[in-house]
Amino acid sequence: MAASFEDNSTGQPKDDALKSTAPARTEPEEDNDNDDDDSQEEDDDDEEEEEDDDEDEQPPLTRQARMQSDRAKMEALFRRLSTERVPVRVHDVLIKGNAKTKDSLIEAEVEALKTATTVQELLQAAGIANARLQRLEIFDSVNITLDSGPPELPGTANVVVEVVEAKNPLSGDFGIFSKPEARSWSLEGSVKLKNLFGYGDLWDGSLAYGWDQTSEISAGLSLPRFKGLMTPLMARISLLSQDWSKFSSYKERALGFSLGLLSSRNHDLSYNLSWRTLSDPSQISSRTVRRQLGHGLLSTLKYTFKVDRRNSPLRPTQGYAFVSTSQLGGLVPDYRSLRFLRQEFDLRYAFPLGLLNAALNFGISSGVVFPWGNGFLNRPSYLPERFFLGGNSSPVCTLGGPTSILGFKSRGLGPAEPRRQVGENSTTESADASSEMDFLGGDFAVTGFADLSFDIPLKVFRDAGIHGHAFACTGSLTSLTENSYREFSLTKFKESFRHSAGFGIIVPTKLFRMEVNYCYILKKHEHDRGKTGVQFSFSSPL
Amino acid sequence: MEEVKNGEKLTLVTRKPCFGLPTACPTCLPVYIYLRFAQLPFDVEYNLIYPDSDQIPYVEFGSHVVYNNEKGGVIQSLKDEQTVDLDSDVSGIPEWVSTKAMVESWLAEAVMYELWVGSDGSSAQKIYYSDLPWPIGKCLYFKQIHMVKQLLGITKGNAERREEEIYRRATTAYNALSTRLGEQSFFFENRPTSLDAIFLGHALFTLHALPETSVLRSKLLDHANLVRYAENLKAEFVDADSSSSSASPSQSDPSSSVPKRGPSNWSKS
Repeated sequence: MAASFEDNSTGQPKDDALKSTAPARTEPEEDNDNDDDDSQEEDDDDEEEEEDDDEDEQPPLTRQARMQSDRAKMEALFRRLSTERVPVRVHDVLIKGNAKTKDSLIEAEVEALKTATTVQELLQAAGIANARLQRLEIFDSVNITLDSGPPELPGTANVVVEVVEAKNPLSGDFGIFSKPEARSWSLEGSVKLKNLFGYGDLWDGSLAYGWDQTSEISAGLSLPRFKGLMTPLMARISLLSQDWSKFSSYKERALGFSLGLLSSRNHDLSYNLSWRTLSDPSQISSRTVRRQLGHGLLSTLKYTFKVDRRNSPLRPTQGYAFVSTSQLGGLVPDYRSLRFLRQEFDLRYAFPLGLLNAALNFGISSGVVFPWGNGFLNRPSYLPERFFLGGNSSPVCTLGGPTSILGFKSRGLGPAEPRRQVGENSTTESADASSEMDFLGGDFAVTGFADLSFDIPLKVFRDAGIHGHAFACTGSLTSLTENSYREFSLTKFKESFRHSAGFGIIVPTKLFRMEVNYCYILKKHEHDRGKTGVQFSFSSPL
Repeated sequence: MEEVKNGEKLTLVTRKPCFGLPTACPTCLPVYIYLRFAQLPFDVEYNLIYPDSDQIPYVEFGSHVVYNNEKGGVIQSLKDEQTVDLDSDVSGIPEWVSTKAMVESWLAEAVMYELWVGSDGSSAQKIYYSDLPWPIGKCLYFKQIHMVKQLLGITKGNAERREEEIYRRATTAYNALSTRLGEQSFFFENRPTSLDAIFLGHALFTLHALPETSVLRSKLLDHANLVRYAENLKAEFVDADSSSSSASPSQSDPSSSVPKRGPSNWSKS
C-alpha cells in the first residue's frame, strides 16, 4: 500500500520520505498488512519487481540502512493508524484493465471509497469494494491500490482499481441442487455466459431433471446493477413439465417468465407470469381433476420474508428461523387469469441439550390458499397451487411451508377422490384401493414436528458426520373452497390430523444427504398412502 | 351400463353456449341433440378453458366417463354400451350408412374449414377463446388454424383449389340431403336417428354460429326444406325442454350474452 498523508501531529512531513521509498516499502508493508488488515488488496507481483530493480541499483550498505529506516517508519505509520484517525481525502478513482466492462459498473461498486475520510475507513472500504467486484463473477482478478494524490494537493489519495476480465466468458456447470420452488432435489446442467454486454450481465441456460419427474429447461439473465437499483435484477424464462399422473392423474406444463425484483438477506420479491396447462393423457382422472384440466394464466407476485438464526441449515442445534411467504395471483386486470391468495408460515426453534452434541428441534408450519374475485366462495382453488403433504424430505432441513410428514408417500395424504372407473370389474381386480384414488391436495395445511438429533458415540461415525435422530411428526390437510369451509369445525379439524414417529440415521455425503428412517404411522386416514417401515430419503447436500 | 337407467343422472360436459345454442361447438352439439332425442335426463356443465382438447364433449355417470376420443366418439360409445341406441333399426340400411358417412366427412370438413380458415375467426374466438386470457387465447387460436390447415391439406399453393373442392362437396351434400329429406320430419323411418342428430347439429351451427357473410351458410339457406327441418327440430327438442335440464358452468361464468333470433329471420348476403 502506498499512501501519502500529512503528519500534522509531529509537525514533520513524513510524506516525502514515504514517497521516495515507495517501491522498497512493499515487503515490510505486506507483513504488516497481513497482521492488521483482513482485506486482500494487493497483488504484489508488480511492486516486487520494482523493488528488485531498485535493489539492484542501490549500493548494498545504504540499502540495508534504508530498509531499516523504512521499517521503522512503517512501524510508526501503523502505530499511528491503529491509535488515531489519520485524515485523508480521495482525489480520484482510476479504473484500469476493463476493455469490455463499462466504467459505470465498476464505479458503482467502488462508490463508498470516495466518501472515506480517514485512512482506516479507506482501507475498509477498499476491502469491501474488492469483495463486491469479485462477487460479480466477471473478473479473473481485482486489485485496488491506494496511491498518493497529486503533489500539489497534500492529504489526498488516488485509488487505482485494476481488473483483469475473465478470459473465457463461457463456463459450464453440472450438479445436484435443491431448488426452493421444487420440493425435491434435481440434477442440473447449466451453461453460463458472463459479461456479454459489459454490464456485469450473467446469462445462463440450464437443463434440470428432478427426482419427482420434473423436467425444466430455462434461460436466465442476472444484472447486478440495473439503472441504479440497489439490488440485482434477475429475469428468467422457463419451460417446466411435471408429471403427477401417479398421484393426481394429471400432467402439468408451464411456460413462465419470472422477474426477481428485490433480493436481500431477509426479503425477496419476485413476479411470475406463466401459462400453465393441465392435461390428462391417461384419461383416468377423477371428477375434480377433470374439471380443472385446461389452460390458465398465472400472474403472481411473491414476497418472502426470511430470518434464519440457526447455526446450521442441515443440522441446527441452536437458534430459530422464521419464513413467511405470501403470494398474490391475478394481478393482470384480465378477470380470466387465475386469482388466488396463498400464505405460508414456518417457524423453527432449536436448542442444544449438551450431551452427545444433541439438540431438540421444533417446527410448526401452516399454509392457506384461497381464490378471490367474483364468486370466490364457490370456486375451487387452482389444483397445482394447493398444498400437498407427503414425501421423503426431512422436515428439519426443508424450510418454507408445510411439505412433508415422514412416513407418508409423496402427495400421500389429504382429500382424495376415486378415479374414473374403467370397465365393470376394476374395483374387484385391484387389491390396493388407494391406487384408484386421486389426491387433490388441500387449501389449509398444518404440519408440526419434533426432532431429537444426537451424535452416535463412535468416533468413526462422529468424524464422518453421521448422526442419529428420533422424530415425531403430525399434519393435517383440509379443503376450504367450494363451500367446504362451512363444514369446517374444530372437532373435524382435530380428527384430520395424521401422526407418525420414528428414528433413523443421517449420512451426509458430498453429493447428497441420505436419511434412513424407520417410521411408524400412528394415525392415518383410510386412503392415505403411508406405510410403517424403513424408508430412505435423499436431499441436497447444501 | 345399467346404472344409467337406475337413476344416476348423466352429466354432459361441453363447450360454452352462445349464439342461441345450448353449446356452440360443432363437435359437442350433435351429442347434446342425440341425448335430447333419446329423452334421457342430463345435466350440462361447461369447460371453458380447454379449447384444444379432443376429450370434450364427454358424458359422466357416477364414476364412469365416456370421452369423445375413445371408441369412436360419445354417440358411438353410448350405442355400443346399449345405453341408448337410436339406430338399431336403421344401421343396416346402406343408404343410411352412406348418408351418415357423407355428413360426417364432407360437411364436417366444410364446417371446420369455414370456422377456422374461411371466415374472419370471430365465431371461433367467441366459442373457444372468450374465457381464456388474451395471450393464451391468441396463441391457441393460431395453433389451431395451423392444425386445421394441416388436417385439411391446405397449403399456400392449393388453397384456392381446396376451398373450391370443400364448398363443392358441401353443396353436393346439401343437395343430396335435401332430396332425401323431401317434406319429412326426419331422414329415415320418420324418427330421429344419430344421423339426424349429427346433421341437425351441423345445420344449427351453420345457421346460427357462422357469420352472415359465410359462404357455407348461404349454401345451406338455398335449401328451404333443410332450414325448416332444422328450425322445427330445434323448437321441438332443443329449445322446448331447456328449462328442465340444469346447466352450470364448471369454470367462470361464460362472458357472452345469448342473442335470440327468430326462425323466419333469415337473410342471405
